[in-house]
Amino acid sequence: MILAGIAEVARAHLGWDGVVTPDLRLIEDLRLDSIRLLTLAAEVENRFRVLLDEGDEAGIETVGDLVAVVRGKLDA
Amino acid sequence: MPERPEGILDWLEQAGRRPEGGLRFVDRTETATWFGWAEIRERARAACGGMQALGIERGARVALIFPTGIDFFVAFFGALLAGAVPVPLYPPARLGRREEYVRRTAQLLERSGARLILSESRLCRILGDALQETHLALGCRTLEDLPVESPRTILAAPSDLALVQFSSGTTGDPKPVALSHRAVAAQAEILAGFWPDSPEQRQSCVSWLPLYHDMGLIGCVFPALARDATLTLFAPELFVACPALWLRTLSRYRATISPAPNFAYNLCLNRVSDKDMEGVDLSGWQTALNGAESISPGVLQAFCERFAAWGFRPEAMTPVYGLSEAALAVTFSDLARPYRVTHFDREKLAREGRARASVNGREIVSVGRPVPGFRLRIVGPEGCDLPAGDVGQVWIQGPSLMEGYLGDPEATANVLRDGWLDTGDLGFQYAGELYLAGRAKDAVILRGRNHAPEEIERAVEEVPGLRTSSAVAVSWLPEDAPGEELALFVEASRQAAPEELAALPDACREAVLGATGLAVDRLEVLAPGTLPRTSSGKLRRGETLRLYLAGELAGLESAASLRLSGVLA
Repeated sequence: MILAGIAEVARAHLGWDGVVTPDLRLIEDLRLDSIRLLTLAAEVENRFRVLLDEGDEAGIETVGDLVAVVRGKLDA
Repeated sequence: MPERPEGILDWLEQAGRRPEGGLRFVDRTETATWFGWAEIRERARAACGGMQALGIERGARVALIFPTGIDFFVAFFGALLAGAVPVPLYPPARLGRREEYVRRTAQLLERSGARLILSESRLCRILGDALQETHLALGCRTLEDLPVESPRTILAAPSDLALVQFSSGTTGDPKPVALSHRAVAAQAEILAGFWPDSPEQRQSCVSWLPLYHDMGLIGCVFPALARDATLTLFAPELFVACPALWLRTLSRYRATISPAPNFAYNLCLNRVSDKDMEGVDLSGWQTALNGAESISPGVLQAFCERFAAWGFRPEAMTPVYGLSEAALAVTFSDLARPYRVTHFDREKLAREGRARASVNGREIVSVGRPVPGFRLRIVGPEGCDLPAGDVGQVWIQGPSLMEGYLGDPEATANVLRDGWLDTGDLGFQYAGELYLAGRAKDAVILRGRNHAPEEIERAVEEVPGLRTSSAVAVSWLPEDAPGEELALFVEASRQAAPEELAALPDACREAVLGATGLAVDRLEVLAPGTLPRTSSGKLRRGETLRLYLAGELAGLESAASLRLSGVLA
């Protein structure tokens, strides 16, 4: 569910038309520049109604990392 | 004895007499929090006492790393009250590479000579490692960590430094631009003079611009303080996430002035839906300043057309020109009439450096005339003034020029000569107005922010298959593009294996994204020895771009993939 939601954000807001898998790295594979990374963070927050802070974001490198952080927030 | 001119601290002392003067912060839910100038002053006094107790004295640099919010201002004015020199730096970008942020921040701290960082606790933790390598005697602290002690009044002299802000300069790594109290006050007065209050109307401004950027701090905050007015602020990351918030906030608070770089107007075109605009009225927006980067005529026109339906008037759109080294504004378009775009003969402009009007020529946006107190010259290669219509280097003189680049007399002497500042920008005068036509300096300017090309070139140094120190990064505004594009030219190594060559374009793009957060719009892999160099072997960035645009730079493999720069999907 979370992965599908992130894929939807990538399609709607980041111009990504490929398949989104957990192993994709945000910068190297999805090719997100700083403005798109910011858009991703904001749209994921809107979609899942969570707030990510500096601590949450520190270790996020892949789509899978982002899924795990969002899941942690939703479960909390 | 001559009267001491008024400055930021005098304005801070006097502000708060009008009940409506202060700062309003808008958050993501569009809820506002308001602080009057008197309260800000009292909190700043307490911070001043705390800094003094730590040993911060007159002239000491204090780095400030805060998101947009009240703490930034408490720290900023607190440092000024202590006679210290605030150095605003940017907080980390969301989801960005943490280690790159820390490395670059450590560099800026080193160059600014800061003795103390004031920040938030989460950022102090992140910055811990960066501090090891700098001369930060007093570490990183939050406002709450400051000792409680009464402040001693330090009266800053007009020639004392008031602010250090970073610029890419004309070459090399980011440079700390040192601005005096006199310069900053002069610039704020020039700006405030454009918008006199009348009995019918109190001018007010909305800004989401970063506070470490001259257009946000000097352009919006100081004039509001000088006029004891209200300024409505929200964070740049909120604008990027939701550009409609800018237009809605302008409408809600009936603001008359708001500035932004070209990319922001383009982002509104691409990301604001009609539904977002429900109930929005832009008819009160008298001045939409547009500066800090190259201006696309197409974006101006499209913005005016699209948002006319919500009351936006073309007279409001005001292209301007300025730079950190001048504190901010140098030229303004006429506030009373629509912006001006002129068509110039392409061939004459590109080959001869002459601007001749031509019906179907290239469109260039006028940035207007010098603001009061400023003068400009267009200077040719031999240092003589060029006639109107000839392209040359833009030199400026005015009351808010920087004192110099902090701790770098050589770089300062390169740009400041006999009271004139060589901006490194190329331009010409036509019908009494300034038009910009590229840059002589090596600066990459994207989304209103300056980047040193060296930072981008350094990012690809380790990419396998590249020739050592053979990368050139440039940005420019292509005709019909919505903003400047970033091009990277690299030379392949003679020893590069075929599979390395094949992987080169992707590897370079990844390296640049990871290190700088910037997407490369065009990438050219060249044969070794193709890039133009000086006799001493230094790469010539401007000449590289000229050759590329003239089609004279043969690619090993043309990997140009034109992306819509600044456009999110």
